[in-house]
Amino acid sequence: MKAGAADSSTTDSAECTLAELPVGCTATVINVKPSLRGKKKFADVGIVPGVELQMEAHAPFGGLLRIKVMESSLSIHRDDAANIVIRKRELS
Amino acid sequence: MSRKYRIVLAGNPNCGKTTIFNCLTGARQHVGNYPGVTVESKTGEFMLGEDEIELIDIPGIYSLSSSSPEEGVAFEELTRPGIDLIMNVIDSSIPQRSLYLSTQLAELHIPMLIVFNMSDEAKKKGLKFDIQKLQSYFGCSIVQTVGSRGDGIDKLKNALSESLLHLEDHDVPKLTYGADVDDAIHEIVQWIEPAMTDRVRHIPARFFAIKLLEKDTCVMRLPEFQGLDAIIDAQIAHLYARHAIKAETFMADCRYAMISGACRDAISFTQERRREISDKIDAVVTNQWVGLPLFFVVMYLMFWFTFTCAAPMTDGIDWLFGWIQGLIERFWSPDVQPVLRSLLIDGVIHGVGGVIVFLPNILFLFLAIAFLEDTGYMARAAFVMDGIMRKFDLQGKSFVPLVLGFGCNVPAIMATRSIESERDRRTTILVLPLMSCGARLPIYVLLVPAFFAVKYQAFVMFLIYAIGVAFAMLAARLLKSTLFKGDGEVYLMELPPYRVPTVKSILLHMWDRGVMYLKKAGTIILGVSVLLFIANNFPEKKVFDTDYGAQIMAVAADASMAPSEQASAVKRFENLRRAEAAEYTISGRVGKFLEPAFKPIGFDWRVTTAAIGALAAKEVFVSQLGILYAEGEVAEDAPEDEQESLRLQLRRVYTPLQGFCMMLFCLLSIPCLATLAIIRKELNSWKWMFLEAFGLFALAYVTTLIVYQIGLLLKIGTNLLA
Repeated sequence: MKAGAADSSTTDSAECTLAELPVGCTATVINVKPSLRGKKKFADVGIVPGVELQMEAHAPFGGLLRIKVMESSLSIHRDDAANIVIRKRELS
Repeated sequence: MSRKYRIVLAGNPNCGKTTIFNCLTGARQHVGNYPGVTVESKTGEFMLGEDEIELIDIPGIYSLSSSSPEEGVAFEELTRPGIDLIMNVIDSSIPQRSLYLSTQLAELHIPMLIVFNMSDEAKKKGLKFDIQKLQSYFGCSIVQTVGSRGDGIDKLKNALSESLLHLEDHDVPKLTYGADVDDAIHEIVQWIEPAMTDRVRHIPARFFAIKLLEKDTCVMRLPEFQGLDAIIDAQIAHLYARHAIKAETFMADCRYAMISGACRDAISFTQERRREISDKIDAVVTNQWVGLPLFFVVMYLMFWFTFTCAAPMTDGIDWLFGWIQGLIERFWSPDVQPVLRSLLIDGVIHGVGGVIVFLPNILFLFLAIAFLEDTGYMARAAFVMDGIMRKFDLQGKSFVPLVLGFGCNVPAIMATRSIESERDRRTTILVLPLMSCGARLPIYVLLVPAFFAVKYQAFVMFLIYAIGVAFAMLAARLLKSTLFKGDGEVYLMELPPYRVPTVKSILLHMWDRGVMYLKKAGTIILGVSVLLFIANNFPEKKVFDTDYGAQIMAVAADASMAPSEQASAVKRFENLRRAEAAEYTISGRVGKFLEPAFKPIGFDWRVTTAAIGALAAKEVFVSQLGILYAEGEVAEDAPEDEQESLRLQLRRVYTPLQGFCMMLFCLLSIPCLATLAIIRKELNSWKWMFLEAFGLFALAYVTTLIVYQIGLLLKIGTNLLA
């Protein structure tokens, strides 16, 4: 499964996937692509549409991402993050 | 009147369930600051006034469903009949995420008590709760606690007594998900209510209806609910048409929406100071560039601490055993019960004492591991190491068990249960014995100083550990590319905020480990040492091939020899006699029989018997050498220090190359029986256990063979290095 490359749903300029969110930026979850494995698990820890999250760090060698959701830090894999569509919040 | 109650502790991973469990029952179950410390249900009892309470601590879960093996276990435990009350522990510093599980537990309509744990952290974050509102929302009492300090435990007990009085007429929560969803749930309830059997009747049909809407595999499999697929799918399609969200995550959406509504009402933020210090530390610790080097520094410090800080205490214990031996030798004449005297001195003191000497190393090792666990660094280490682990087809979650393996392989193998991917879990279990555990530590601490000059010692020690890790990684790669091929699973791990570990918790962990080590020394190692002592001394040889006595007399009578020549000749004959007697014993025979097989890897019959004894427990390797060489102590220049004198003897008999090969073999070979037993249990297979034992033996033998033969050929380590 190649991450997020060919997907039917078009994304406008403000929308991107969680994998593309730079460290330190905040975003709102728009939706979760059907191709995401273990959707339920991500939903259970709070990654549901409308939720705000923040990219906290990238692990060495690029595999894992660390995001803050609902006050807690989660590490998830970049391949999975590529299936989570977000809207970046403008930096104030 | 005294009654018995059954209470289950449920909550998210790392919310402090086990801490509360320990507070209530007085037990000392292991706790740590990372998710997944508790991997199996534990039961404890305590008295609440007149009543007897049975408290069950289950592994942490994010949701009451069956998307991982742990959740499956928890789901079964919670839906089993006979639970009087659920004690739902939540980390109140992250209320939204924590209450998600509460909404599901509430739907079981089992009396519940919510424990807002870590309320000190919630307060620091500026969170304010309207407890009254929340109580009416969830239809149960809420108690605020700080488990780590024991705050609020009395209040918790009072609330529990109060709740137990109202088991029959407890409140039920008022949880609604909006008209559409509630209609769909209601529709399904109509259909499944008639299908409910006695087995499941203690749980409301509504709960199952929601799980069926979520397409939860555990509930869908229940025989009661077969043949309803069309009805459920129709409802799902109906909801999808309205809200365009897939069934699996639909309810999660609804729940979080509901919680955020409740939170707006009942929870307020007074300040925006969230996890500030923790985040600052993490900016460095989990940094893309600094994280990894820092991790290696932490590992180095851990081992430095284990070896360096323990040294003075090791010497102290060594001195103590020397003193006890001196005492026995002085007051127990060799003529009275010589066999018993020798058993006590050579078998018990040299065998068991030789192992107890390393207690400080074990204590410091576990102190370091407990510190890593309790501060929350372990989860960070998994995060920064994930990239490297993936290069070997493992993942960050395998990493915590591997580090725990440095302490003891047995709990480390149990800790692999937090790995969701079955393939990764199996691979991790199978390579784990290659992580050099604390029981192998005494072997290195004895042998390294015996054969290597001070300046090389740290390097050799590091090399041994590094070889273990390298083989573990390569073996994982091999297993994953052959037997356990396939895509990895979803990776999801929470990084808890850093917490200052309580001195009590760390010391208790160290203390428990120390007691375990001493118990092991006093039981298995003592038993095996006595057996080995017998095997090493019996049957006794009465008639020798050569009459050594006569030859010694002849030498002594020979006036033409200088006194020093005479002495060394006498000693040569004495040693020959001792060697012949030793070969006549059980150990000697077994060792001699196997010697041809082990000679190519540099082992003589003595080391061979030590390696066999090490199957019971790795430390036995040290005690067997201690027992075997205790009898040869005729050297006039033998130092006072017990360990030093054993090292001196080893240095006389073996080359550094052989010493290195012994360590290498002990590192890689078959793990102790306890580890094999846990491998069998966790993989649920005798076949895998035997394959593992055979595979590791082959690996150890071949590797040691190559190292020894190349070493001999190139003459590396065949002489002592200065």
